[in-house]
Amino acid sequence: MSNRTLGLMMGAVALLIVAVAVVFVLVLAGGDGDDDDSAAPASEASDRDAAADSGTDDAGADATRDTSREDSRDDSRTASGICGENRLITFGDDPATVFDPIQVGDASTAEYTAEIFGGLVTLDLDLNVVPDIAERWEISEGGRVYTFFLRDDVVFHNGRRVTADDVKYSLERAADPANFSPTVLDYLGDIVGVRDKFNGSASEISGVQVVDEYTLRIELEQPISYFLQQLTYTVAYVVDREQIERDPDGWTRNPNGTGPFRVKVFRPLEEIVLIPNDRYHLGPPKLDEVVFSLSGGSLSTRFENDEIHVAVVPALELAGVLSGESPLSEYYLPVPQLAFSYLGFNVNEPPFDDPLVRQAFAHAINREAINEVLYFDAAIVADGILPPTLPGYSEAVTTYPYDPARAAELLAQSRYAAEMPRIILTFSGSGGDPPDTLQAYQQQWREALGVEVEIEAIEWSAYLRELRRGELQMYAAGWIADYPDPENFVGKLFASDSRLNHGGYSNAQVDALLAEAATLQDQEARYRLYHEAEQLIIDDAPVIPTFWFINHYLVRECVQNWVDPGTIVPKYRYVEIDTSGE
Amino acid sequence: MGQGLAGYILRRLLWTVPVIFAISVLVFLLLRLGPLDPIESILGQRYTEEGAERLRAKYGYDRPIHIQYLKYVQNLFQGDLGVSTRHQNFTVAEVVIPKIRVSAGMNVMAMVLIFTLGVPVGVYAAFMRGTFIDPLVIGFWLLIDSIPVLISAVWAPWLFALKLGWVNLSYEGVLHPNIILPVMVMSLPGVAGVARLMRASIIQVETEDYVRTARAKGLRERTVVVSHVVRNALLPMVTVIGLALPGIFAGSLFVELLFGIPGIAREALDAVLAPDFDVVLGLVLFGSILFVLANILIDVAYGFIDPRIRITATRGG
Repeated sequence: MSNRTLGLMMGAVALLIVAVAVVFVLVLAGGDGDDDDSAAPASEASDRDAAADSGTDDAGADATRDTSREDSRDDSRTASGICGENRLITFGDDPATVFDPIQVGDASTAEYTAEIFGGLVTLDLDLNVVPDIAERWEISEGGRVYTFFLRDDVVFHNGRRVTADDVKYSLERAADPANFSPTVLDYLGDIVGVRDKFNGSASEISGVQVVDEYTLRIELEQPISYFLQQLTYTVAYVVDREQIERDPDGWTRNPNGTGPFRVKVFRPLEEIVLIPNDRYHLGPPKLDEVVFSLSGGSLSTRFENDEIHVAVVPALELAGVLSGESPLSEYYLPVPQLAFSYLGFNVNEPPFDDPLVRQAFAHAINREAINEVLYFDAAIVADGILPPTLPGYSEAVTTYPYDPARAAELLAQSRYAAEMPRIILTFSGSGGDPPDTLQAYQQQWREALGVEVEIEAIEWSAYLRELRRGELQMYAAGWIADYPDPENFVGKLFASDSRLNHGGYSNAQVDALLAEAATLQDQEARYRLYHEAEQLIIDDAPVIPTFWFINHYLVRECVQNWVDPGTIVPKYRYVEIDTSGE
Repeated sequence: MGQGLAGYILRRLLWTVPVIFAISVLVFLLLRLGPLDPIESILGQRYTEEGAERLRAKYGYDRPIHIQYLKYVQNLFQGDLGVSTRHQNFTVAEVVIPKIRVSAGMNVMAMVLIFTLGVPVGVYAAFMRGTFIDPLVIGFWLLIDSIPVLISAVWAPWLFALKLGWVNLSYEGVLHPNIILPVMVMSLPGVAGVARLMRASIIQVETEDYVRTARAKGLRERTVVVSHVVRNALLPMVTVIGLALPGIFAGSLFVELLFGIPGIAREALDAVLAPDFDVVLGLVLFGSILFVLANILIDVAYGFIDPRIRITATRGG
């Protein structure tokens, strides 16, 4: 073999080995290898649109950004990198359904849909029902008839004016049996005629009448005090009939809604980019763009690398972030979820058909200890069913304190004191070890009650199927609000006739309270009835509320007014990027 | 070759028809009779018998299974792979083709990198055998090979993105510089395999008579190495490349998951779990056709490189 060829090959390999070695040494020595040209590829993406912004010096921005990453996190406040332009880059989930308001069944799709469309009413950031397409409304006949007066300046993204006919069309489209909306009966089923239309026995919804161009009358089967809350859900949003009839299959790729944003880019599993609707009637958005990144590497690493404005704290880093030791701590933003987690029982199956057994199980678990050890005290021990941030929450409701002695006593009084049947606790997951919390409960029941509980994992859709059929003896579950009203928790999960009442719980007194509360107009009086029902339910213990969870976010300081209201609320029109570098 | 080769290829292609048919029936049955129900996944907590029935009718899942299969095949011959239930209103082709492009792009880059590194490393190691350099070089690449992708996919972003700031982790398309890191993580562990194969091949070829003849003829050492040794030693590499071809389109699951790349492996995993019947079927069919074609291609390529194999193929086939 010629020496020249050999030499060349040798050189190439040697170079590579040296290169890797150099990198190792540099990193171990403290990362001095950060030089000026190193940020060049990194900045391309974020500076793409920055050229138009006056006063943004690309080279300068790169240099500043470079230092900030390496030396001091404080410098990241300068108007550079992703804070240099009014474009929010955040994370998102791939929409599980299409951008068709009546098909939305999951939270991630609902989040986008709420920004693109609007309905008669919407929610503000404090979860109050506020006007959207309807300017005001009147409630008559004891809460059975709603008359909505529409704004006359609402337009679709393409400029077409919205009238009462569009609202009626949208509601009837939602109830059209040909459209298979999975949510229409849950949210709009109380409107007179919706069920007839859905069953195919009527061609229109008799309870929705167009009075004139800007007045719409909606009649309910019976007074429903949370009807306006239900109307804020996506299934009641207004869609453009002309667009849908023109392109029945493809319109959801770029829907013509009335919301604050419209779709600029939608690439499944890659990204969704929304741009402002400048004619939005409630005030146009302040951002130039919202980018939902559906792809890319670890969120927190990208956040640390100044590639994304908002991220979630990964479980492994939570302890460090909470204690202030992590460099990410200064960006930490905790937001309580509008949700609760619980352990549910099938109250018709032994041994949980005896309330004493259920109460014993509730007294036997030490949630404070679990919170401290497993959640770094970053969850809230649920002292009720309704989460604290929900309108209508009451502090007066209480759950079972940790009391192993009382637990053992209750169990001894129960029908199953002598012999306990086999108990299986089911959760949705995939094999392996069950979650730490479930193992902790298992241990605590063993210690306090001497009861051995088996834990079983099943896949999500199978879990839902068995839950629906009432085949789960005991299960770990959670509930996130669809709309911010106590009814969505206390009513949907515990009314005898609710199809989400999976444990078979039935209490005539609770049902009566729920029925009465549903029709009351006085909010405070309503809330009192729900609290009464909530406490009755907890006393019967068809479920053990366990925790109110908190979302752990990381948010760059230049992002103004970013909030997570905990449910489906159009929120990005308030957000702004502070590009001044202050 | 001529007639013989064409006939051989034709026969091989005809054989693929029953193979693909058998695969499609098997996968179709596995999906339809399996425990996962796409309708339950779509409806989730909003499941009602009535709603489920309507959706089943919409997708045709309420018909007898053989009718469903015939309908699928009928559509297939019209170039219609069906619709996705997971990405509603998107056809299978719309879902799958962009993902195949991404995975194929990344894997071609990775393959090129593996071979441009692996072949010279192997050649070098072979000619340095007997010295300490041979085990050192091969050992170094084996060390790289022994780091699981699960580790390097976590460690590499920390080093190259956070500490050095050379790359970003956002996915910006398969031709964006950000793709370098995942491609490196994907390809570097593969270098050792190619290098060792190349090394063994060179050592074997070196002992062949024709190499001795070439040297005896007084050819320059360089000509002997390049035209006789390396060229013949590359022969087994064709098999490796050929067999890696279907893999190119199958994607690399861990890299796609950990770098959040919208490739075909991630899509396949989600499609199986959802389940998304038509997408899974489409992917399986695509994959099996590719595998069969790649095998035929290897045989043909062999014929070009080594006339002996061509003759056998013509006679025996």
